Amino acid sequence: MQGDDRLDLELHRRVSMGDGQAFEGLYRRYAPAAYGLALRVTGQDSLAQEVVHDAFLALWRAPEAYDPGRGPFRSFFLSLVHHRAVDTVRREERLRKRAERASNLERGPGEDVAEEVVEDAYLSTRRKEVREALQTLPPEQRTVIELAYFGGYTQAMIAEELGIPVGTVKTRTLAAMRKLRRALYRED
Amino acid sequence: MAEDHDRIEELLAGYVLLGLSGEDAVEADRLLSEHVPSCPRCRDAMAGFQAVAGDLALAVSPAQPPDLVLPRIRRGVAESPVRRRRASLVAVAAGVAAIVGLAGLTVQLGDRVSRTEQQRGRLLAAMEALQQPGTSPVSLESQGQTATGLVEVSGPGLQRMYVIGRDVPMPSPGRVYQLWLGTNGTFVRVEDGGFVPEDGLVLLELTVDTGRYDEILVTEERIGDAPANPSHLGHTWHAFLAQPQAA
Repeated sequence: MQGDDRLDLELHRRVSMGDGQAFEGLYRRYAPAAYGLALRVTGQDSLAQEVVHDAFLALWRAPEAYDPGRGPFRSFFLSLVHHRAVDTVRREERLRKRAERASNLERGPGEDVAEEVVEDAYLSTRRKEVREALQTLPPEQRTVIELAYFGGYTQAMIAEELGIPVGTVKTRTLAAMRKLRRALYRED
Repeated sequence: MAEDHDRIEELLAGYVLLGLSGEDAVEADRLLSEHVPSCPRCRDAMAGFQAVAGDLALAVSPAQPPDLVLPRIRRGVAESPVRRRRASLVAVAAGVAAIVGLAGLTVQLGDRVSRTEQQRGRLLAAMEALQQPGTSPVSLESQGQTATGLVEVSGPGLQRMYVIGRDVPMPSPGRVYQLWLGTNGTFVRVEDGGFVPEDGLVLLELTVDTGRYDEILVTEERIGDAPANPSHLGHTWHAFLAQPQAA
């Protein structure tokens, strides 16, 4: 376990005891990542704000939902944000309007706000690793991951969008997830 | 039943990306309830895919939330029952032992609970609630394979509901338990009613007027989901609530 993961664990433990300062510590660490993700998935400032608001309050109200035995806090919390964001877009029924944006992770010149955000170094490092891992995927595998994760598409919708069988979507998804796992957790 | 592990991993990969629908989603829920918890290979695959799904969030550039978000969250935190619980626990002192007899809970539970002030506060608040006129515990019937105890405590005018349990199994990977309240067979999700047992213990205090409802249900739901209807998958508990008494 890395030192930053241990810091997350300590902050989470204190949040479980009702420590508001620790809670704000987790907010400072993860709000930019959470908001960036929510903004990408929902495509709207107001919806992204709701997602971040709801996710952090859910953490405060039920910190026991995170089980340290099941992986890093980072994965748990950002998954929670992702779930809420996808749930939001599905409710809003705006999936199809985001197809192009979802399939293109790279922002255009001047759009990348990473430099404007103060972020823990370890998150920046991990962010670089994740992007590199995604880039190693064959384009057809990367596309299904991006449509599912950032577009909120179901596998059936991806099949329809790309004009391929659902079985092919499943095969590409599994192959991509296995490769990403090997690339990101090779020390395990 | 012999399971095809490649097929299962295919479903699990789609599951963590929230990409399943229809029969695949139903099958994944079945596997997560019946197979994955007892299969080391599938547990490992699920944990790995969940970690990847969490990290995929980092592929997007971070963005600073607008300044108004944190004050809104702070207001929510200030209004949270957690604060009230912390403020009210001082009085409890030796009272934990008095919980003996509450629907089968024992002094041992009191000892275990005393590990955190928060839990002790909830337990004492539930005890205090039980002393109010018209309040009575309701045992929830387990619908799963394991007989475990969950007890609901509420009463007229209380505006609170307590859910207490022991030996409650962990939900399937990627899920939490969720409380629902029902009227005439229609259930509404209880805000902040998601929970995971800690060492088998459950101690919840929720601000809700149960007088408007006649049923209580606990289901397994995916972490982070805010479903409109109960899934009825995995381990569930159910009970009919006593009809509200006239004031």
